[in-house]
Amino acid sequence: MKKMEQVHCPGDQHGEGNLVPDPELSSWEALPVLPDHQTQGVELVWAYAIPVLDKKKTSRLVKEVSAIYPLVGQGHLKRVRACPDKTSPHALEILLCLASQGGDTVEGVRPLSELLPSGQIDWSDLGEPYLVHVPAHPPFTRAQFEEAKLHWPTVFHENKHISNALQGLLFSKEDKAKMQIYMEKAIHTARQGAERGMKAVGAVVVDPATEVVLAVGHDCSNASNPLLHATMVCIDLIAQRQGRGAYSFNAYPACTISPSGDRAIPLPAKSIQPGVVRKYESRQDGLPYICTGYDLYVTSEPCVMCAMALVHSRIQRVFYGASSPDGALGTRYKIHSKEDLNHHFEVFRGILGTECCSLDQKKQGQQCVSSQL
Amino acid sequence: MEAPTGTEEEEEERGNGFSVSAEERDRWIDRAMHMAQEALESGEVPVGCLMVYNNQMVGMGRNEVNETKNATRHAEMVAIDQVLNWCLRRSKNPAEVFQRTVLYVTVEPCIMCAAALRIMRIPLVVYGCQNERFGGCGSVLNISSDDLPNTGTAFQCIPGHRAKEAVEMLKTFYKQENPNAPQSKVRKLNGHKR
Repeated sequence: MKKMEQVHCPGDQHGEGNLVPDPELSSWEALPVLPDHQTQGVELVWAYAIPVLDKKKTSRLVKEVSAIYPLVGQGHLKRVRACPDKTSPHALEILLCLASQGGDTVEGVRPLSELLPSGQIDWSDLGEPYLVHVPAHPPFTRAQFEEAKLHWPTVFHENKHISNALQGLLFSKEDKAKMQIYMEKAIHTARQGAERGMKAVGAVVVDPATEVVLAVGHDCSNASNPLLHATMVCIDLIAQRQGRGAYSFNAYPACTISPSGDRAIPLPAKSIQPGVVRKYESRQDGLPYICTGYDLYVTSEPCVMCAMALVHSRIQRVFYGASSPDGALGTRYKIHSKEDLNHHFEVFRGILGTECCSLDQKKQGQQCVSSQL
Repeated sequence: MEAPTGTEEEEEERGNGFSVSAEERDRWIDRAMHMAQEALESGEVPVGCLMVYNNQMVGMGRNEVNETKNATRHAEMVAIDQVLNWCLRRSKNPAEVFQRTVLYVTVEPCIMCAAALRIMRIPLVVYGCQNERFGGCGSVLNISSDDLPNTGTAFQCIPGHRAKEAVEMLKTFYKQENPNAPQSKVRKLNGHKR
């Protein structure tokens, strides 16, 4: 815990001993909010398979078929499988090509003469093609792999990061202790905002490489500016820390930044947490492009506006406590992993979930969604 | 008649019982185009927007991301702040003003701005071209019309006003590239996305 002395930020005089450590650690879990294609069942598409009548010619046939149908983008599918039907006269089958782009519409079985026009391949060693269901994408998790190979033999390169995330192995006890301290700070800030009549939502931006808390903010939205959600406040505080920014938070003493002058030099790679990629752009002031490389801790799940603001800001990871009904990082959308967007980041929910849940409930009359851990 | 999207029922529900004539639309979008052109000439992302209340321009904006180092300072967000200021100076209730304000913008609002417009309860957005990279009114997500009971109200869109010109400006800008942005990952990822 010695390291935590690096966590400094002005306005940090809340000595109410509110950093209650370890006993609480076991009561929450950081749950990854993964993109649908990493957690859902296996999507299937139709493909043509052809029986191999003469087993000895398999390798030649595979070569010839692959030259005609290279199956680019289906590298996860093995070309040959042992025939699943034991009573069949042939033992092996070759995967020829996909039957259609979509999973549902099938063009109808096409004869061999159409799929492999004469002259290209000697048909005499092949049976009539038929339709099979094959996995559309490579499996990400072992569960997906087990399901995929029931349909067609599939290559599996386990993504350790995703597997660990799913098994809750991504964070050590030490990591969790730090995460708890950051979230406690966010909760404390939320309460400070609530005391001034604001919505009880708090947020903290941390540089995970140096463990420095860079900015602390709470929801400042009111009738005269309804858009100053805690995340938007923090994004502007980081801009202010970099010498710019668009708002003044002088009226809100709990919204603070750490001085940028003492930005610590990134620690050696050893101390960097798994999944953390350090990306300092070579900028004159040595500071990263907006929020690149930074983590956000926020007591409740960001709304669509805030989630997309985090995409624009190139945040690295987001940790939130309680889910929100229209939340955009897991509940209604997964904007952090939306394929069409130009930046993606990791999201974990449930950090001090119960405490975060109880924060803003009375005011909004919302149901506590995050207790379904 | 003025609003091809959305049903009459929805209009009544939202109580936005006002309409803008084609002539009005052309006049305001023309001004927005001029702003975008100016932005382009000064090396900024060519997006221009203005907010009109009671046939009066109460806010305008262009992208200020580089100046503020705050990636959320899109033209629409800047314009919203101007309208809020306008309300403050005239002791108007922002909620009442925004509910009768039309946004004219040269490019489809992004997902973030679309959500902000919902929160502000702006009823109608007239825009030029689609925003293929970030659009929140149909291109990437449908924030403008999705059912989000806790995120303000849905709004109507009238797209396609001078879309070609707006696209041309964007193309010209992206040829120069934004020197302040980090290298895009999209192009690198294209091969093995998903």
